[in-house]
Amino acid sequence: MTEAAASAPAGAPAESPNVLEARDVRRSFGGINAVQGATMSVRRGSITALIGPNGAGKTTFFNLITGFYKLDSGSVYFDGQAIGGLPSYKIARLGMVRTFQITKALSRMPVIDNMLLAAPDQPGESLFGAVFRPLATREREREITEQAHELLASFNLDKKANDYAGTLSGGQRKLLELARALMAQPRFLLLDEPMAGINPTLGARLLEHMQRLRREEGVTFLFVEHDMDVVMSHSDHVVVMAEGRVISEGTPDEVRADRKVVDAYLGGELDDVSEGGE
Amino acid sequence: MDTLVLGISTSGFNLSFWVGVGVIAGIYAIVALGLQLNVGFTGMDNFGMAGFMAVGAYTMAILTVDHDISFWLSLPLSMLVTMGFGLLVGLPSLRLRSDYFAIATIASAELIRLVAQNAQGLTGGNQGIFCSDDFSRCYDDAWVKVSDTINGWFVDLGMSDPPSALPLLVVAWIIAILLTVALVRIQSTPWGRVLRAVREDEDAARALGKNTVGYKLQSLVIASAIAALAGWLLALNLATIHPTDYEPIVTFFGYSVLVLGGLANYWGVPLGAIFFWVLVEGTRTLEIFESESQQVALRLFVAGAVLILVMVFRPQGAFGKREEMMLGD
Repeated sequence: MTEAAASAPAGAPAESPNVLEARDVRRSFGGINAVQGATMSVRRGSITALIGPNGAGKTTFFNLITGFYKLDSGSVYFDGQAIGGLPSYKIARLGMVRTFQITKALSRMPVIDNMLLAAPDQPGESLFGAVFRPLATREREREITEQAHELLASFNLDKKANDYAGTLSGGQRKLLELARALMAQPRFLLLDEPMAGINPTLGARLLEHMQRLRREEGVTFLFVEHDMDVVMSHSDHVVVMAEGRVISEGTPDEVRADRKVVDAYLGGELDDVSEGGE
Repeated sequence: MDTLVLGISTSGFNLSFWVGVGVIAGIYAIVALGLQLNVGFTGMDNFGMAGFMAVGAYTMAILTVDHDISFWLSLPLSMLVTMGFGLLVGLPSLRLRSDYFAIATIASAELIRLVAQNAQGLTGGNQGIFCSDDFSRCYDDAWVKVSDTINGWFVDLGMSDPPSALPLLVVAWIIAILLTVALVRIQSTPWGRVLRAVREDEDAARALGKNTVGYKLQSLVIASAIAALAGWLLALNLATIHPTDYEPIVTFFGYSVLVLGGLANYWGVPLGAIFFWVLVEGTRTLEIFESESQQVALRLFVAGAVLILVMVFRPQGAFGKREEMMLGD
């Protein structure tokens, strides 16, 4: 498999239906094989769920494909482009944007600044542009401020725009992180446990947003989730990891019926494992 | 500490003494402005300012005294060299966690100072640098001329005997104020916003497409350029450049100014600098102490006590925002 992947870099051409292809991705930390040969793909326009018991390597896998950890071996393609080994900020600029399991609100910055930060193509973000292109900077700032307010409004955060992000509740921070990721105009959004720690009402709204963005903007989603009801009802493809490997893949119904998956969890009903985080 | 001695204490108002305090305050305002950019707005605990100041001062002096380069040309050249040092220190150390970065920068500053102390041929070692061997050239020749001209203006304005440090006071504070304005403005740009994001959470900034190491490097290189300014002014104030002028205490005094003025606010810095140096030097004029040695010890004691009280009762300093302090996680 490794050989095949290495010898066929064009195996994920632009017309491929897959927005992401990860092949035999490996990473160990001091003798512990966190991810030991994970191969999976995410179809363009899909909402794909990544599930698996605690310690399965889901978050590590996220960190590997988004450039936050270096790969020991294996390859990753985003829209046909090899991104293994690229620094995380470059991967983000390509349109593959992630959020974190533990929210990373920029606490001592206003909510609106959290949003503006994420917008691409601001000439004033370079020192040169900030000093010598004030007009272009101001113009872009106007555009993205408008965008940011619209997005905040759709997440019911517009009244908080000028508050420090650190004053938001846990659930609001999750929403802010999603809204902020959207400001980056991603084609592919990776959410690490977006529902963890937020109340059901906010959670439902977050799911609605995902569905709407997929429908209206064609954004592809890959999300890690422990709530099996959410996974089964809101994803059209499910990837299951256990012990650092992908052990099953398919539609929610296929995965639910897969003996390996049931064994990997606890040899019981999947509904029984809706609890718990990492 | 000896290097900071400004003059003898007298009772009553002594203009040249207070002008001297003002010069030191201006220099430390500039040092702390560089620190503010790094510490307050980028979240980088740079403890190497004294080293960068030394590089700026020594390079200026070596170019003018040993290589007969014009003082005015030596300024941009030495600033570039100092920025190069900033880059050199930053490249290997910026990937370190913040506390290790602090250790790496303080070590680099000490390295620079110890090299200056021992590289006799280049820096004059413990003798320091002042003039060429035949005393035909001194690094502050050009400045002394400017200084005399400026003091001539003060005489024209009706001042009978302007203190010799008065021109330096004027220049130092013009630089400090211009720098404050420039930093405030650049901080309000999207570039400054990315710096604050790096301060808050580097991973989040990277996940949003920001080259965080690049921004930290820029922040550090700008701070080292600012340190060069402070290094020159200190060299002109003391009229000699000596390794002991650039001990870590210089950086620590810069941090004291930062704390008093308040983190993440540039306007607090000049205010903090004045407050700190009036506190440290002004207490010389108090005649409440028995002996000179008691006074020296007690002055720093008073300064330390005030710093502690500020931390307890007003952790945000003069201009910092208390809300921001509380939200830090």
